[in-house]
Amino acid sequence: MLFEFDAEQRLWQDTVQKAVAKECPPTLVRAVVDAGTDPAPLWRVYGDLGWTELTDPADAVELSIVLEELGRATDPTPYLATLTQFAPLAEGLGEPGGSGTAVFSGITAQQADGGWVLEGTAPHVLDGDRADRLAVVTEEGVFVVSAADVTVVRTPVFDPVLHVAEVSFDQVRVTDRDRSAADPERARDIALMGLALTMVGACRRALDLVLDHVRTRHQFGAPIGSFQAVQHKAADMHVAVERARALAYYAALTIAADDPRRRLAAAMAKAAAGECQALVFRNAVQLFGAMGHTWENDLQFAIKRAKAGELMLGGAAEHRALIADLTAEESRATHV
Amino acid sequence: MRLTFDADVEAFRAEFAAFLEANLPEEAEAAERSRSTGHVPGWARRWQRSQFDAGWLLPGNPPEYGGRNATVLQQYVHVEELSRRRICRSYNPQGVGIIAASLLSFGTEEQKLRWAVPILRAEITAALGMSEPGAGSDLASLRTRAEPKGDHFLVNGQKVWTSGAHDADVLLTFVRTDPDAPKHRGISVLLIPTDGPGVTRRPFASYTGPEDKDFNEVFFENVRVPAGNLVGPLNEGWRVANGSLGHERTLMWLGEAERLDAVMRDFTPATALDKDWYATLVMDLQALRLLGSAALARAARGEQDVPALSVLKVFGSEAAQRALERALEASGPDGLVHPAATAPYHHMSFDDDSASWFNRFARSFGGTIAGGTSEIQRTIIAERVLGLPRR
Repeated sequence: MLFEFDAEQRLWQDTVQKAVAKECPPTLVRAVVDAGTDPAPLWRVYGDLGWTELTDPADAVELSIVLEELGRATDPTPYLATLTQFAPLAEGLGEPGGSGTAVFSGITAQQADGGWVLEGTAPHVLDGDRADRLAVVTEEGVFVVSAADVTVVRTPVFDPVLHVAEVSFDQVRVTDRDRSAADPERARDIALMGLALTMVGACRRALDLVLDHVRTRHQFGAPIGSFQAVQHKAADMHVAVERARALAYYAALTIAADDPRRRLAAAMAKAAAGECQALVFRNAVQLFGAMGHTWENDLQFAIKRAKAGELMLGGAAEHRALIADLTAEESRATHV
Repeated sequence: MRLTFDADVEAFRAEFAAFLEANLPEEAEAAERSRSTGHVPGWARRWQRSQFDAGWLLPGNPPEYGGRNATVLQQYVHVEELSRRRICRSYNPQGVGIIAASLLSFGTEEQKLRWAVPILRAEITAALGMSEPGAGSDLASLRTRAEPKGDHFLVNGQKVWTSGAHDADVLLTFVRTDPDAPKHRGISVLLIPTDGPGVTRRPFASYTGPEDKDFNEVFFENVRVPAGNLVGPLNEGWRVANGSLGHERTLMWLGEAERLDAVMRDFTPATALDKDWYATLVMDLQALRLLGSAALARAARGEQDVPALSVLKVFGSEAAQRALERALEASGPDGLVHPAATAPYHHMSFDDDSASWFNRFARSFGGTIAGGTSEIQRTIIAERVLGLPRR
């Protein structure tokens, strides 16, 4: 394999970076949190830029480039949920321009009158409170329902930019037309990839902020970034980010190619992002000193987003268990 | 970015596999084992030469230097095939990977023919004379003195940790030619044959056992070295050193990837606790290969990004060390037995790679110390990759 962006991907990354810098600057995120600014216009901008059309799994690397940059910017829109949770499950049942999310568990489907009735409550649904449509994974298949058919209550969470909600289905009737043919396992892998890239982006942002801080903060007559104890913590953060980033894009490659290594790669991406955020959170807050503890410091957005990612769709330890099992299976298969 | 290789690369892989099939030494032939990184038994010399002559030793090189002008992807699958089969291409790895490579980058045409080609063809072996008792991490403070005397240099001083020197024919030696210049500016590089008067080599054992003698002290006492053995311009040895260290770190991360791959194959996790670290090892190996492939691609384009290699070196060596430590500790009282075998014997591998878990773990510190310690690598990353201020 070759882990290097080609010329087209580099150009795309450059385009995305410039657009994010212009459209989703730190001041906007701050305004969303502190002044309640509505991120809806930003969501429409992503649509105008064509980013909401990256729903074909073959475009997973291009999508990943957007996700990484939006993770860096702690994107306040429902982009992550729509593109990596809803779209892979909805497969064509979505509406252009609409937002969506996924309900991966907690809902049952009972057959009735030639259709199904959905019932149950799902906690902690990403963007559950503001998605136009929801893709629901049940044992009877995947169904797409409108937000108007369910009850949602936003849950207060530690990440002030993140939307999480409890979604309740009370006798929601669906028909064959609402049923998606999507493979829920592949959809889950895409969701893992999405969270991993978001976390990697957020970790890169945390590292950038730390580097700015230790270059300019002076103590003992020198920038603290010249002290080895500080330098080595920063170097460890960089290595962790590089490792997690490589595995996240590897997952994207396997998804784009629908390669059999996809499931293992997605688990590795999520586990590595989880390990990365643990180190980056610790070192970032530590290196910022007391200043990292303040509400006015934007560091909080990046590290909270990274930590939030770890708590969704299985943490690093859970995915490591899966990786070990998948690897053992694979080595049995190749060595028999 | 790509996950799979085009047909031409796969054809290249198949061609190399066929070469291995036809040319790999038989086990009976390979009874004499290499005792140090400067010692290449006769059969292994023939093996290395057959790779050189067929253009498979360093496929990225032109044919006259043991290659076939292979692309970076072709070079990548070449390494993959060797690693998968646990085949060692040279028992003088630093000779091929660092010294010959440095001569091809910085040497004259004559030096390439006189020294690099014989090293690559295993007619002679080479060792690297960098560290000194007072110059380890602070390599640029080296004091081995070489006085320019017209047609020769007069060398006095001492090297240490000179792996394989007692079995090597020539030392690529970093010496001080201008003691008055700032420390990075007065260094030069000399090829010093080991059989001349005034060169004394004293091998000493590593902590894994009294028989494991690869380390050397080398003493130079009024050694006359022909002026023609100067590699690169006078007093510009630091530039050569950086190139050599780049080659060394490339060689090292490739070795760490092999080590991780070997632990992955040689250890079977049984408990949930073992599975947990084993998964980290699987991830480390995959990430190292991904990041390494990008570094190989940069190198193939001629981009010198030595600081970026520090990421691979510190990451790979610490990942391998962590995995080996866990494998040793997971083996319980069985792990006490030493010597012992932890992998099937393979006559084309380094014997140390199938030794007891203790031996394998203990040797992993070579990865975190040699070629610039992990601490030095972190400082390089901080200052030269992340742009933090220097002290």
